[in-house]
Amino acid sequence: MVRQDTLSRACMLDHPPVAYLLPVPGPDGIADCEVGWDDLGRDAAWTQERLQAHGLAQGHHAVVSFSGHEGAWFQPVIEALRNLGVVYGSVETMGWDHVRTRVFQRELDLHAILGLSGETLEALSGQSMIGDFFGETPVVMARPDGIAKLRDAGVSAAVISTLGPALAIECPERAGAHVNRAEWTVTERDGRLSVTASAERAVGGREFLLETAGTVRADPCACGSDDPRVMFT
Amino acid sequence: MPDDRYLEPAVETMSRTALRELQERRILDLVPSAYENSPFYRELWDSHGVHPRDISSLDDFRERIPSFGKDALRDYRARTGDPFGGLLRVRPSELTSITSSSGTTGDPEFFAEIWDGAPPLVTAQLRDLWELGLRPGDRVLSPPGTFRNLMDYGYHALGAVVISTNTWFGRMRETLEAVRRYRPAYMQFMYPQLVELEHLENEYDLKEIFASLKGAACAGQPISPRMREKVQNEWGVELYEYSSAADTGTAWECREHNGFHLWEDTVFAECLDPSGDEPVEEGEIGELVATDLDNRAAPLIRFRSEDLVRMTSEKCGCGRTHGRMWVSGRSGDETVVDGRPVVLRDVWQAVEAEPETVGGFFQIVRPAREVDRLRVRVGYDPSLSGDTADLADRLRAGIAKRTGVEPDLELHTEEELMRTVRSVAKFPRVVKQ
Repeated sequence: MVRQDTLSRACMLDHPPVAYLLPVPGPDGIADCEVGWDDLGRDAAWTQERLQAHGLAQGHHAVVSFSGHEGAWFQPVIEALRNLGVVYGSVETMGWDHVRTRVFQRELDLHAILGLSGETLEALSGQSMIGDFFGETPVVMARPDGIAKLRDAGVSAAVISTLGPALAIECPERAGAHVNRAEWTVTERDGRLSVTASAERAVGGREFLLETAGTVRADPCACGSDDPRVMFT
Repeated sequence: MPDDRYLEPAVETMSRTALRELQERRILDLVPSAYENSPFYRELWDSHGVHPRDISSLDDFRERIPSFGKDALRDYRARTGDPFGGLLRVRPSELTSITSSSGTTGDPEFFAEIWDGAPPLVTAQLRDLWELGLRPGDRVLSPPGTFRNLMDYGYHALGAVVISTNTWFGRMRETLEAVRRYRPAYMQFMYPQLVELEHLENEYDLKEIFASLKGAACAGQPISPRMREKVQNEWGVELYEYSSAADTGTAWECREHNGFHLWEDTVFAECLDPSGDEPVEEGEIGELVATDLDNRAAPLIRFRSEDLVRMTSEKCGCGRTHGRMWVSGRSGDETVVDGRPVVLRDVWQAVEAEPETVGGFFQIVRPAREVDRLRVRVGYDPSLSGDTADLADRLRAGIAKRTGVEPDLELHTEEELMRTVRSVAKFPRVVKQ
């Protein structure tokens, strides 16, 4: 069809090896992080494993709450969902868009909601009981600023978060957000986190000092993964 | 390797005759499939006594297939509980993604999508981005929203590198720093962002900062001539406005800036009398009625957009043969105050005439189209106004002079009004409350 023809035409163009350029804020200012196409492919494969562990599978419906500037982290989430055969919807993380989150939740038989922000949960909590609202959804993942509100309401939510240029996702054990150990080394320095890219990445070997507060667990997770796990504080 | 003005020259400049033949072929494929698989169309067409076997030409299609509007879909959805309003012609599990309208005037409507490579909305914009000058290796500033899916797929398809920075309202200082640091070739604006930038123009050399841009796009609401003049001439940014093509895709200005191009290999666009099904003369204002020609999931077929447009099929100065339209407004935007019609343009001019409200940030607040009093909510720049009572008096007088109606005025700071925005795509000029 037409759009496929247009894409085929675009495929003939020269494509640079870099897909994204991320300004990563840290204590010493902004550091640039390039993300290559191979990086995105590996990130999607790892994310797929993480989502599979939560039971996401062919035929499920999911909603992903993310912002336009989060493509470098959430394009791998979208690709993981597509590879799994999960039909996804997209909503904004801004609190005012809670209306669309509510309608997606009400109208579609959602198996998962990924990426809920504190703002969205704050807006929703003014309208209904959070526990009632999300209680029937098998997989709920929220940003660190929203996770406590869900758990306080009895929702067994897991963390999904950006961590500098990396993505962190809790497994069903919910004992810290996993970061792909094949791609990143995570360390803690005076309560602040830093991530260092593996040699394979476009920014191979580079360390990013972050303003994010948290602690790192290096012991194996009960789920069997050796990924480092981040506890956001 | 395509390296000239057109991404797909054979399609973008095809003859009108070939375009009509292509549209007819696609419609003759579409109609039986929709009747067979989409319960909404089967019910609608049955109720009008129309069957696909009656349709063997574009003329048959125009004469026999009934048009419908948003309310019909909402009714179907409420009656049946089908979230897709009966439009799906595939099983839900065959979809790739589901996006929705912004929901600024009611519950959002879902858009079902099937795609490989890139989502449909952004894919249909590749020709427009190419025309604007986007080329492999260029940098693009990420747009703030995702409500019609992740747009990065489209930029990547053209070989652009996406700079992931938050460009939402209130972050224009950071945005300017990012433009200065990364020198993007393209970015998107919303009207309130332009107002925010206007407040920074005395602190930053916007012309120098924006010099890397080949162009910037702005959608969702018309831009006043004053703002457009400022962006283009004072900030040096070539601004490309675009509009919805009745929810089948988008329609963009080309470098000629003479109307929005409809990609007529993806949409069959008609301009009909807003109160009937008769086509208006070319160049006359009518309602945009659209049919999806490239939507495997849930095609709109003779969908009444409520957008009032003028259309032409004349070849554009850019050489493209696809039709163009000029948007005049929404069919419901006119407010009748105690029997007297009030149009947005008149209120807009009155608001822009005062220095504290030159940004043109206003909304008409009305529970219904016909009201007893004209209620106008206006955003002002507090740094320019210490005396809001005086400003309110001037605005009331200005609006009354242009509309003939004395308004009830609500003054807010621009920032307060920006916080009420409920969409990454538009700042609504007419709201219910």
